[in-house]
Amino acid sequence: MTGLMSLTLASSLLAETAYDFFICANVNRNYVIGSTIVTTNGLFQRDPASAEWRHFGYNDTTLSAVAFDPRDHDVIYTTSLNGIWVSYDGGDSWKMTNSWDMTEGRDVAVDPHAPDTVYLALPDGIAVSPDRGQTWARRENGLPDRGKFTQTLAVDRSTGGRVLAGCEKGVFLTENAGGVWRQVLPTETQVNDIEQSPHDDQRWVAVTDTHGAWHSTDGGATWSQLAGLPDEEAIYNVTFDPTNPARLAIASWVYGVWTSEDGGETWIERNAGLPADPRAWRVGIDPNSGRLYASIFQETLYYSDDFGRSWAPDALEGSLVNAFHSIPRLQH
Amino acid sequence: MVLSLALPLGAQPAFEQPFSREPVESLDQRRADYLDRNKQKQDWRLGLYAENDFATMDNSAIAMLLTRGEEIEACNRRVIELMEKPGTGPFWMFPVTMVAYAGRDKLSVEARQAVRDAWRTTRQLRGDTENHWVMYHTAMYLMAQMYPDEPGTEWWNGLSSEENFVEGRDWLLDWMNLTTTIGQGEYNATHYIGEYAIPLLMLKVWAADPAMRQRASIVLDWLFAELATVTLDGVLRGPNSRTDDTSVTERWNALATYFSWQLFGNVPAGERFHGWGWGNYFAVLAEHYQVPEVIYRIATDRKQDILQHDRARSRRIWRYSDEHMRPIYKTQYLRDNYAVGSHQGGISDPIQSHVWDVTWSVDDPRGVHNTMFSLHPHSSGRVQQMFFCTFPEPMPPGVTYEGKPSYNSANKLLGCSPYEQVMQDLDTVIALYDINPADDFPQVNGFFSKDLTDVEEHASGWIFARGGTTYLAYRPLAAFTWEPHIRYPNSRDPNITEETGGRVLVSPHVKNGTILQAADGSEFSSMAAFQAAILALPLSYALEPVPTVHFTSLRGKELSMTYGETPRVEGTPIDYEGWQLFSGPHLNSELHSRVLTITHGQLGRVLDYNTLSITDVVLP
Repeated sequence: MTGLMSLTLASSLLAETAYDFFICANVNRNYVIGSTIVTTNGLFQRDPASAEWRHFGYNDTTLSAVAFDPRDHDVIYTTSLNGIWVSYDGGDSWKMTNSWDMTEGRDVAVDPHAPDTVYLALPDGIAVSPDRGQTWARRENGLPDRGKFTQTLAVDRSTGGRVLAGCEKGVFLTENAGGVWRQVLPTETQVNDIEQSPHDDQRWVAVTDTHGAWHSTDGGATWSQLAGLPDEEAIYNVTFDPTNPARLAIASWVYGVWTSEDGGETWIERNAGLPADPRAWRVGIDPNSGRLYASIFQETLYYSDDFGRSWAPDALEGSLVNAFHSIPRLQH
Repeated sequence: MVLSLALPLGAQPAFEQPFSREPVESLDQRRADYLDRNKQKQDWRLGLYAENDFATMDNSAIAMLLTRGEEIEACNRRVIELMEKPGTGPFWMFPVTMVAYAGRDKLSVEARQAVRDAWRTTRQLRGDTENHWVMYHTAMYLMAQMYPDEPGTEWWNGLSSEENFVEGRDWLLDWMNLTTTIGQGEYNATHYIGEYAIPLLMLKVWAADPAMRQRASIVLDWLFAELATVTLDGVLRGPNSRTDDTSVTERWNALATYFSWQLFGNVPAGERFHGWGWGNYFAVLAEHYQVPEVIYRIATDRKQDILQHDRARSRRIWRYSDEHMRPIYKTQYLRDNYAVGSHQGGISDPIQSHVWDVTWSVDDPRGVHNTMFSLHPHSSGRVQQMFFCTFPEPMPPGVTYEGKPSYNSANKLLGCSPYEQVMQDLDTVIALYDINPADDFPQVNGFFSKDLTDVEEHASGWIFARGGTTYLAYRPLAAFTWEPHIRYPNSRDPNITEETGGRVLVSPHVKNGTILQAADGSEFSSMAAFQAAILALPLSYALEPVPTVHFTSLRGKELSMTYGETPRVEGTPIDYEGWQLFSGPHLNSELHSRVLTITHGQLGRVLDYNTLSITDVVLP
């Protein structure tokens, strides 16, 4: 039995929750390459029974994203400084499957309509695996020669082979599994995150370094700027609340945590209760409870049960959470 | 504490003995001296562990003892202990690879198994820089060679021995191809030179494939040929892809000096071999290498002026640039008593570049700040994003706790800027600045060493000084004030600083420039004569709309430079596109040729990476 599955089955609240909730965390403040790792880093799953973060898999300080095969949650993909790691046994063993000329994986996404197909975001483009991450090939037709630093990938859950990529020079869309990409939102600076609404598959939000936040209501074909958010400094990520279609949140080093409770029309700063100079690294929402999490740069992970009006410290002191990820729990 | 108790000062011959810069003519004596220096380094390192207490020794000491065949039981114990808490990444991987090879027929079965287990259980990091990858792939290549035919379950990354070996080999071949074709990315690095030299020596000694051994030999000679050519009395000066807050002013105080000391013997060692820690790993294998005669002669002879026009490349750029790697055009002019070097300016490396300087010779360079230069102290999250997978904000303050303490400070003397452009002709440098007014630090800093003499701010606007015997004329193009020069004694704490006695010329004007003219002490009878010669040189300049300078150098060259345009010498734009990989009296290589010809007098060596041949020739 794998670590992931044993944790899942150990939960007494299994029947009450619909999602497994994960983070990729670096809990190693001021770690420098070469030193011995003295803390536990990498993949953690929220245990609804104990309300603790349970580590599984390798101890890796550099995980940036995680994805699962929707058919079999023992198939796990994580991006890291080294590239892409794949596990076929729930995290007990892993293989680094990228070639030497692919490095510093930024994001990974599985097509739910064709789960053998996996997308890998790289600092110099995009690679696609047709065989559950065993092999990878560049799929960059239509991306600019320069400007294809890809920070984020999001597969459209409504249509197979339809993927949005957040690149240095905008949002790019493929409708044939990476066969060709076209720019659907030009930006001056890096697109840091793209999210699809869990409530409306035509609704997307993208956030950028210094080009503000944008949303689309037609599946990513056209975009307009979200006027309620500042756009001079970088917004690191955005998240929808799976429990409430009106609620969104963003994280920003300079602005901290901002939330909207009217579908993105208006936004309000929600930093009261967070450390001064908040340096918000990432926000995420537990789809089981609507609890809002904020990873504060090399501080403790914080959470809010009133959507940012108040905050309390969680565990993982000195951490960076690079990704929050939830998947519908498989019924066994 | 153990170190200080175990090691009384004065126990280090290399520090106390007088040294000579005279070339050693006898090949046998030169070899004997080389081996003696290596023995001193090893003895010093092993001497840290007094009374046979080897419980705290590191991998370099273990590897030294293993190669000597000494204290094997202590090595066994320490290896097993160290492998209980493996490190992560290339700085751990290559030392342990060295231990594994040095001990492959000496370590106990249990100790060797401990090493083997660590490579199965502990996830390693490739890193994200050129030197990281050289170390990482060398280690993977050699370890996979040591343990062939094993499945992925026996390796930390799930790849089989064959897959690991092929990946390491392919990366190394790609890097060597690139380096011999368009140049090294981390060129002329004052510290990171070790992270190249050591893995290359490991491959030269331990690779089973004779072609890989030969490739490593070629690239190692290549690396040291350039070191020999661009050092002044064994001291590596600018330009540097990467240096550090200490080395940029105290030019001797760098790991590169260890290599000059070991290979050429023309520079003194520091007390307790301070700063030369990585040299311990080279020392383990140093007996298997010695620079060829021609490289030795280049390093130890400055009787003839050297003018090299060479190319390198920037670090690879992920984003916010139209170029994947910028070509770097280096001008190196070395004379007997001073050297002037530069590249064209702009961004080369995100944090630690050093663009230009004049550095002068001193009898004993230890503790001496024998250099002069200016720079725009640029700190930028956007620049970090060009090279790293990071957001804009965290790195500028973050790196100041990771060995780059000055990075986010206005007073820094390290780094390049997108707002600096530089031209050099022989011993004249013109640096122009057109700084974005919104930049964090809209100023130009000029370094004026504590070791300068005869400093005079002349009414003409020139600042005159002497560095050693070298005459220096420094012309700031905008108003300035003086600030104390500070150093950062703790490279991981930017809040700890000390004044050195030197000064920094701070010119808080975004349209700006520096002109520097150097001359040898023998060229003028007095400082007054030098000043008169400088004041007689035609000079005109303007700062608006962009900085522009017309200057006739001390060598009679009409130099014209306008920010944003190609500089001109005698009215002709400098043909950067036409520059070869190396071009000069000692090093010559056509761009893309993969052939380096090294010459000194009648001596020649041709490194042909295409045919994997090393040919020594005698020139007419």
